[in-house]
Amino acid sequence: MSALVLIGFGIIALIQIPGLVRKQWWRELICFTLFWSLGLVLAVILSMGIKLPPLTTIINETITGMLGI
Amino acid sequence: MLLENGKISSLQLSLLIIGFIFGASVIIAPGQQAGHDAWIAIALGLMEGLIIAGIFTVLTQHFKGKTLVEINSLVYGKILGNFISILFIWYLFHLGALVLNNYSRFLKLELYPATPKALTLILIMLVCALTVRRGIEVLARCSLILVTITILMAIFDTLLVAPHMDLQNLLPILDVPIGKLLWTSHATAIFPFGDAVAFLMVLAFVNKPEKSRSAVFKGILIAGLVLIGVAVRNAAVLGQMVAIYTYPTYITAQVIDIGDVLTRVEVLVAINLITMGFFKISVVYYGTVLGLAQVFNLRSYRPIILPIGILMVILALTNVSNTTEMFDFANQGYPIYTIPFQIAIPLITLLVAKLRKLPQTRGEQA
Repeated sequence: MSALVLIGFGIIALIQIPGLVRKQWWRELICFTLFWSLGLVLAVILSMGIKLPPLTTIINETITGMLGI
Repeated sequence: MLLENGKISSLQLSLLIIGFIFGASVIIAPGQQAGHDAWIAIALGLMEGLIIAGIFTVLTQHFKGKTLVEINSLVYGKILGNFISILFIWYLFHLGALVLNNYSRFLKLELYPATPKALTLILIMLVCALTVRRGIEVLARCSLILVTITILMAIFDTLLVAPHMDLQNLLPILDVPIGKLLWTSHATAIFPFGDAVAFLMVLAFVNKPEKSRSAVFKGILIAGLVLIGVAVRNAAVLGQMVAIYTYPTYITAQVIDIGDVLTRVEVLVAINLITMGFFKISVVYYGTVLGLAQVFNLRSYRPIILPIGILMVILALTNVSNTTEMFDFANQGYPIYTIPFQIAIPLITLLVAKLRKLPQTRGEQA
C-alpha cells in the first residue's frame, strides 16, 4: 500500500516539478513542495494503518462541550 | 497577472448556486430533525439563508471584481487580511472534506459496499481537480446541463412516487417543539444555504457584477423551493419514519415500483448526488486553491491543485470515525462552527470597509 502511495506521489511530482523549474516559478515550486510533502507524510502514515485523530469529531466535541449542547 | 481569466454569466451563477446547494442536501435531507415538519424548517432556514446571502453579496457589490482574499487585504491590511483569509480558506477546505466524506459514506453504505472509500474519493477528486484546472468558466458551463437534468430527475421521481404519497402524513403541522424547530431551521440556514458564502471566491468573475446579487438570490430561492418540495414529498411518503432514515430521499425513491417493471429508481437519486456533489466539491476546491494562490502571491493556482486535493481526500478519510459522528456534527456543532465564516467575517469586513470608507476611488487615493 505504501509503495502505491509513493508511486502516486512520484507521478504527481513528475507532472508538476519539471514545468515549474522550466518556467523558474520558484515561489510556486516552494508552495507545491510544501503541500505535496505534507500530503505524502500523512498518506504514508495512513497507508501504514496508523489512525489520524478525527478532526471534525474533535471540533464537534469542543463546541458542544463549551456550549453544553 | 490575473489568476483567473474566465467570466461567467449571471444565469450560470444561479445554476451553479443551485447545484452547490443541492450538493450533499440531495442525500442528507436538510431539516430532518424536525421530522415531518422539515419543510417548515427549510422554509424558515431559507429566509435566514437569504439574509446571509444579503450580507456577502453587499460586500461583493462594494468591491466589484475582487475575491474575499483581495477584499481582506484592502480592508485589514496585508498581515491581518491574510490571516482572516487563511481562516476562510480553512473553512472552504474543511467543507470540501466534509462533502467528500458524506459522498464516500453514502456510496459505501448504499452502492459500493466492497469498494474502498479511498478509491471513490480519489476518483471524484481527480474529476474535480481536472475541472478546477480548467477554471470557473468550465464549471459554470457544466452547471447548465447537469443542474437541469437533476431538477428534471427530481420531478420524475416525485411523479413516480405520487401514488404512494399521503398528505395526511404531514399532519399535525408544527408538531415539534418551537425551540427544536428554530434550531433545525438555523441548521438548515447554515447547511445548505449559508454554505453559499463560498461564492465570495467566485462572484468576482461574473461578467455583469451588478446582476450577481439577484443571481445569487434567484439561485438560493429556486434551490430552497425544490428542497421544500422534496421534504414534503419525503414526509408524505415516509410519514413519521422520515426522521429515522439516514437517507430519506434515497429511501423514498426505493418505494417506486411501477408494475414490477420500473423499480430500483433510487439509483437516479444516487446519480443526482454524484453530479451535485461534484459541483459543491469543485466550488470549494476552486475557492481553496485560488485563495491560497492569492495569499501566497502565486502566478497560478494550478500547481497546488493536486497537493490540496490529496490533503482534502486525507481529511475526508479521517475527519470522523463513523456516520453517527458525522450527523452529530451536522446537527450540533456545524451550525455554531460556521457562524464566524458565514456571518461574522463578511459582516465585520463590510462594517470595517464602511467605516474606513473603502473602496476609495482613484481621485480619493491621490
